[in-house]
Amino acid sequence: MHYNALTRLHFESAAHAGVLTGTAIRRGAAGSRALGAWVQFDVHIDVDAPSAAADTADGPPGSGLVRAVRFLAFGCPHVIAISDWVAQRSVGLAARRRLPESLPAVKALFAVPTEKLGRLLVIEDAWIAALSPPSR
Amino acid sequence: MAECLTQGGAFGNPGSVSHAYGDAAAAAIETARAEVAAAVGATAADVIFTSGATEANNLALFGIAEHRRDQGRHIVTVRTEHKAVLDPCRELERRGWRVTYLRPDPSGVLDAAQVGEALRPDTVLVSVMHVNNEIGVIQDVAAIAGLCAAHGGARLHVDAAQSVGKCALDFTGMGLDLLSLSAHKAYGPKGVGALVVSRRRGVQLRPLQYGGGQERNLRSGTVPTHQVVGMGTAFALAAAEWRDEAPRVAQLRDRLWVGLAALGGVLRNGDAARSVPQLLNVSFEGVEGESLLAAVRPDIAVSTGSACTSAVGEPSYVLRALGRDDRLSESSLRFSLGRFSTQGDIEAALTAVEQALVRLRRIGGWAGSCITMH
Repeated sequence: MHYNALTRLHFESAAHAGVLTGTAIRRGAAGSRALGAWVQFDVHIDVDAPSAAADTADGPPGSGLVRAVRFLAFGCPHVIAISDWVAQRSVGLAARRRLPESLPAVKALFAVPTEKLGRLLVIEDAWIAALSPPSR
Repeated sequence: MAECLTQGGAFGNPGSVSHAYGDAAAAAIETARAEVAAAVGATAADVIFTSGATEANNLALFGIAEHRRDQGRHIVTVRTEHKAVLDPCRELERRGWRVTYLRPDPSGVLDAAQVGEALRPDTVLVSVMHVNNEIGVIQDVAAIAGLCAAHGGARLHVDAAQSVGKCALDFTGMGLDLLSLSAHKAYGPKGVGALVVSRRRGVQLRPLQYGGGQERNLRSGTVPTHQVVGMGTAFALAAAEWRDEAPRVAQLRDRLWVGLAALGGVLRNGDAARSVPQLLNVSFEGVEGESLLAAVRPDIAVSTGSACTSAVGEPSYVLRALGRDDRLSESSLRFSLGRFSTQGDIEAALTAVEQALVRLRRIGGWAGSCITMH
């Protein structure tokens, strides 16, 4: 299996691997180790950030600004690399229930083989789970 | 080998008996044939050169099946055989033969009695590999040969591609009918191998290809002198050195295993007491196989347990046959040691695996090894 430079970079550094703690942290996970791909995101959202009110895409106004993200991932190098990239790219963006780029764009960026598209969905599901409003 | 490709060497067609150049090439081939035979305890005339063990396996399976089709259409083999045996068996099934696939025990060992129980009146062939290519376990093919001989109608084919230079192999003494060999597994050139076919035991088979009638009419086509000469020399060296080499390699293998086991969550695949010293196959808990391989690849050359070729690798069918689950089958690494392996190589491998394992387990949140950030 060959990986492109961006995949290698994020796989080898995985600088955003880990967990966050605190009351402002949202956590979401998806996938299954038994099935070969599992991802968890911890997202620190600043709900008082001034710019948050301007964003309405995939989330209500005032949904907040992403201050920090950490991830845990069990999976192939693409899963780890893309999870790390999502954690890096999302910081400073409005808290939205979608990845920083569309799935086709992410697939192209990391040269993900078509056979692995299901693993991209696991990453997206984990991100959506983390950004979804807490159940009441 | 190089000399066979130059004007001053044995560059002639070994099948050309009308000139000295052909005679020189033929003589070189017969020398190689004798070297190969001596290395495996066979008679030189029994050695049929092929393009490798895959062709030898195909020739053995299809050759016996087709030649004996009127006597029976049942074959016995093992789930942990190489694809070069399993795929021909699948094809024979499509053509109407019945195949019994035996399952070895969790350590990879096949009880010879299982073969005895699987034999039927219409069994014409049993195919069991000597040394497993993934886990290194040695099967008791001599015992199986005895059962086949007692049966009377079943020929025994043994894929011994992994055996030469690694353990004792005595074609005649073990009572084998057919034996597949590969040159490059014994430091010889790629693209050449052999099928040993016992004349003494009266083994007959139908060829896969027809043409010039070379190799006892069993493998038509001009014999590649340089390849065959390389195989002969490699086998002669292997036969001369393996007994002295084995203890040294076993010591390195044992050091590697002790070091890996100390990392925790590491499982050894295959019966350690019945394995060749050159192979160590282990599964790692808490990591995904493709990531593990990618992480160690810059530092060491290892293989996964599987022979996957697709973008999304499949777990090793050999390890699954031993009862390992998909995750552990996938997260296995096969360490191959050999003539040039050193203590330094072992230490470098241990360092690389430890670093990769710690990092990937931390990223994967295994066993509470998370980082906490505020």
